[in-house]
Amino acid sequence: MPKKVPVRLRVNGEEHELHLPPQRILLDVLREELNLTGTKRGCDLGTCGCCTILVDGEPRLSCLMLAKLAEGHQLTTVEGISPAGALHPVQKAFIDLGATQCGFCTPGFIVTAVAFLRDHPGATRDEISRALSGNLCRCTGYVKILDAVEAAARTLAPAQER
Amino acid sequence: MAGTSSRKSGSAGTPTPSSTETDLVKEAEATRASAGYHLIGKRTPLIDAALKVTGRAEYTDDIKRPGMLVGRLLKSVHPHARIRSIDVEEARRHPGVAAVLTGDRYPTPFGVLPMTHDETALAVGRVRFLGEHVAAVAAVDEETCERAFELIHVEYEPLPVYDDPKVSREPVPVKIHDRALRDTNLQKEVFQHFGDVPKALEGASQKVKLSGKYLGVSHGFTEPHCTIAEHTPDGRLTVWSATQVPHYLHRSLSEVLGMPMHRIRVVKPEVGGGFGGKSDPFPHEIACAALAIETGRPVKVLFDREDVFYLNHGRHPTQNDVTVGVDADGKFLAMDIDALIDGGAWSSFGVVTTYYNGVLAMGPYRFDNFRYHGARAYTNHPPSGAMRAHGGTNMRYTVESVVDEIAARMSFDPIELRLQNFLPPNFKTINEFRITSNSVRQCILAARDRSGWEEKYRKLPYGRGIGVACGFYISGSNSPIHFTPVFPQCTVHLKADMDAGVTIHCGAADIGQGSKTVLAQVVAEVLGIRMDRCRVAAVDSDTAPVDLGSYSSRVTFMMGNAAKAAAENLKVPLLQAASELLEVPPDRLEASEERIHVKERPSQGVPFHEALHKAMETKGALVASGAYSTKPLGGTFKGAKAGTAPAYSFSAYVAQVDVDPETGFVHVENVWAAFDCGRPLNPLAVEGQIEGSIHMGLGQLLSEGLSYRGARLMNPSLLDYKILTPMQMPKVECLLVGEDDPEGPFGAKEAGEGPLVAALPAVGNAIYDAIGVRLMDLPITPDKVLRALEEQRKKGGAVKPPAPTRPSKRTPTHGGR
Amino acid sequence: MHLDAFDLHQPTSVEEALALAQRHAGKFDFLAGGTDLLPNYKMHLNVRPHLISLDHVAELRAFRPEAGWLGATVRLRNLEGSSTLRRRYPGIAEAAEEIATPLVRASGTVGGNLLVETRCFFFNQSYPWRQALGFCLKADGDQCHVVPQKTRCYATFSGDLAPALMVLDAHAEIAGPGGRRRVAVADLYDPKGDGVRRTKLGPGELLVGVQIPPGAEHLKAKYSKLRVRPSFDFPELGVAVALEEKGGKVARLEIALGGLETYPRLMRAQTSPLVGERLTEERVKALSEDLVKAVRPVHNTFLAPDYRRKMTGVYVRRAIGALRSGS
Repeated sequence: MPKKVPVRLRVNGEEHELHLPPQRILLDVLREELNLTGTKRGCDLGTCGCCTILVDGEPRLSCLMLAKLAEGHQLTTVEGISPAGALHPVQKAFIDLGATQCGFCTPGFIVTAVAFLRDHPGATRDEISRALSGNLCRCTGYVKILDAVEAAARTLAPAQER
Repeated sequence: MAGTSSRKSGSAGTPTPSSTETDLVKEAEATRASAGYHLIGKRTPLIDAALKVTGRAEYTDDIKRPGMLVGRLLKSVHPHARIRSIDVEEARRHPGVAAVLTGDRYPTPFGVLPMTHDETALAVGRVRFLGEHVAAVAAVDEETCERAFELIHVEYEPLPVYDDPKVSREPVPVKIHDRALRDTNLQKEVFQHFGDVPKALEGASQKVKLSGKYLGVSHGFTEPHCTIAEHTPDGRLTVWSATQVPHYLHRSLSEVLGMPMHRIRVVKPEVGGGFGGKSDPFPHEIACAALAIETGRPVKVLFDREDVFYLNHGRHPTQNDVTVGVDADGKFLAMDIDALIDGGAWSSFGVVTTYYNGVLAMGPYRFDNFRYHGARAYTNHPPSGAMRAHGGTNMRYTVESVVDEIAARMSFDPIELRLQNFLPPNFKTINEFRITSNSVRQCILAARDRSGWEEKYRKLPYGRGIGVACGFYISGSNSPIHFTPVFPQCTVHLKADMDAGVTIHCGAADIGQGSKTVLAQVVAEVLGIRMDRCRVAAVDSDTAPVDLGSYSSRVTFMMGNAAKAAAENLKVPLLQAASELLEVPPDRLEASEERIHVKERPSQGVPFHEALHKAMETKGALVASGAYSTKPLGGTFKGAKAGTAPAYSFSAYVAQVDVDPETGFVHVENVWAAFDCGRPLNPLAVEGQIEGSIHMGLGQLLSEGLSYRGARLMNPSLLDYKILTPMQMPKVECLLVGEDDPEGPFGAKEAGEGPLVAALPAVGNAIYDAIGVRLMDLPITPDKVLRALEEQRKKGGAVKPPAPTRPSKRTPTHGGR
Repeated sequence: MHLDAFDLHQPTSVEEALALAQRHAGKFDFLAGGTDLLPNYKMHLNVRPHLISLDHVAELRAFRPEAGWLGATVRLRNLEGSSTLRRRYPGIAEAAEEIATPLVRASGTVGGNLLVETRCFFFNQSYPWRQALGFCLKADGDQCHVVPQKTRCYATFSGDLAPALMVLDAHAEIAGPGGRRRVAVADLYDPKGDGVRRTKLGPGELLVGVQIPPGAEHLKAKYSKLRVRPSFDFPELGVAVALEEKGGKVARLEIALGGLETYPRLMRAQTSPLVGERLTEERVKALSEDLVKAVRPVHNTFLAPDYRRKMTGVYVRRAIGALRSGS
């Protein structure tokens, strides 16, 4: 039997106590152990952004993190971005402005954009495009994704002069 | 922005259409609005978007079945070799391994086209490319599968490796497949000749020939292939798979596994993008099912990204020569094409590819003389297949470059030259395509007016340029892949029950393009109800009637018509019931705003649900069916059906670029994309298709390409296969100027593939305008641009090409047709 | 994709990390951000049975841009986000913000980028891919496929921070069994190495951080990166320039190049003759031509080697031009 170590994860505000081999990758644990399948596996090598989650509020690639090293951090997946029954303005804008097609890259874009707008509520389109430049989308050409994040930026910073 | 289908991306300023121009986009919108539809043509958010933005949408890899095993496939380490022996006994005995299969278990060949079955679930006696699967293992986890791989002993006898289609064209000592033509490795060869090309070229006052060279391209969808199979004690097999063609998968499973179709159930969960890359039935899907049968347990096969690149089935590496002759006035006289296509190790859609590279070439232009020689070669590269705008992309780039070159040499404005040569609407082409609706003129004029063409063409400073190109694509293939016995190409079933909701069943595969939304829009439009009453059921072969799949840009056209027919059939008993309640004959009633009411007196009516309940009194839930089949089309010569479609999309794109002459970097600044998809059913989704197509097209143009050294793929990763990032997208303006198509649902035509083709040559022609260099070797990476500029400097100076001297007729936006 | 089994150690001090390193000598890797190491581990490239995570070593996280100190596990994201760093050392901020993607930079570290594994088309591939090739000198085999021979690896150094630090004369602080030492970043890399091992870090030594010397904040500095896409891609060429002019003459000029060869190089032989001279257009042109002659990229990255050489000249000229015009 492979050696296992205790791993305590806090995901979307919920504590999970697990026993895992130390080499288990966080993405695998989220999807396979915790059934948080909103976080997607696109390349497994950090080159597509589909597996992005928030670690203490910062977007990180869960395919390149050991689960054990996520202990002590607050993890947020796309499932935890908005409270039940409600949508974050970024999610709302993605729906209304057609920013999702196949939807496979969408969770990664959503969590990246949510974190970015939290820190940069008045961001410009160029700044948004830079912030999202670690996420690949093959369907939309990014146009409507940028439209949506820009629109959400306006919603989130209504008073701010842009 | 609701109701406006001309949208700019980017927050930068509006390009200025000259104020004297009539706005073709606004005119088209006004014409469409006059039809008075309540849902059709409205910018409609996709009905599955809420699930996707919250991570709730379920893709194949998100599904877990009790006791599920991991399936993995052992890859060949030789590009071409006989398999002398495979010893799997040790692997089978390894703890945690549930099954090990090799090719001899299910050796029946299969393939998407019935006439070219040359794929097998696992290699049988021979491997034909690096990465082909030689054994399948089901085990408790991935680690155990990989351990088992080490215990599988394969003895290979290497064979000559063919990595150059030119060699495959010649007599070869070893054929990659017995079915290759003659003593060569050619898979398919096509000769077509209409009119008299040599004679027409002889009489031409200008002949231009260009040769294009294209690397293979990957679909690059974000979701890797994944399949789950489960064989249950009742003797049934269920297969969940990331596929665009659940029906063809269903057939292939049945053929190879020797199990009747009715005992197999195919389910298509959400699919994370396809673009043609999930439009074949695949070996791994069958191998997964075989493992499930063997073990009696559910098995999941999930690809890693490298596996995706080996399965490939992407755009063919291609070399093509295109010659066009014109008369002194710029009238196109003849087109002569030669194309050599690298098909890789299998046939896949290759017969279609070989035809499409020729028959779609004339595209939006009228030619009376046309000749084509196309050949698709087997090589020991991973198999090529269908990718978005299949067969219409590489050839289009060469053709549109030739047209641009003719304009340059004859001193025409390239827009004026094209305007002289467009096919008219309602026309039969020399190769007997039936053209019906055709708004290519409106497209090019709209793109011209919006882009400020007149002020920019040949007038921007050196290094900056503007270019134009046109496009043309089929809106659904007239010929289904399986044509006997005869079935409809698409069927839609509806069920309306006491909850006053309508369930829509259809096998059409929504792979992100929004076809579920179109289904709901169409049904709700016909029934005059809100869209949220309509729910689209899962694609499940047990319950959904067959649709042939998401390929050849057929779904909106065929499924839309089938859905419309089904909804109209469902409306009949509703009107009848309302007629009884209102005591008004049904032909005086109509459905709108959630009611069935008297046409000329809307206040006299009953709510939808009351009519429904009345209709259900004796028969229970209402069910209705609608189906669509294309009319017979095309000529009687060999290959005449290839490229025939019930309608065609048209396009004209103008692109503006900024080229750094010192580094060779090309920055695409703007694309004005005028597209004729007839009436856009959902402009929001149509724009998404156009913008996504531009991204994909520019990727192939600037940086994407499958790079081989010999038979070895050097860049099977998303780091080394370079898909464009958000920072590289130009500003895109979508101009939807199409007129209603007479046969499309509500006048609609395709918008899934056609939007790609003009993007590449528009940029290529803009580069020519910017720096006077014509680049025909894709992708156009900065090192290639620089090399071309250096050659140009050696020949005499880097300058923009001269401006046209022919007095421009300055075709007015209206008239001149 | 899975990782092979290993023991994971989580020391809380440099000393503890060094002790672990000594105990598992030759059988461990230090793990910082993981964005370079873990993809390589997933491809089963040179995996070790022990991973020593540096996450909990507080000393390594020290970030004092006002004092020119960058701890080894400071995240790249913190570099680009620091206005102090950007003001004092714009070249480092420029290099940092050009690395990989924002998501990689959120995990990736200063030390990780300085010691990033060299890259090659024949090395950065999966196990089955390399197996089909017969492996290579740098992992599991003995043959180089770029320059066919069996003694030297030609994988390309692909870090961005090193050149930017070299031109400021930054020093790396290294802790080892024998105590601590400082070495110029320019001397951190071993030109005489076989290419597989390309740093002068001894076995069991740990990079603690980087000290930028006082005064470096007065230099004009710039980093320019050649790559096909403006994110994701490793450098095909990285040019760092630091310049100080007094009375219209060069007081100091340093150029370092990365992304071309197996280690980054400070190009003193080419730049030092210009000290005390006026930086005329002709001199800059001559300098850039000298640099083009001095570099030898090989064909193991995306863009052709001759192109990368030519671009060295163009990027150097442009960087100097930008520094002098203040843009």
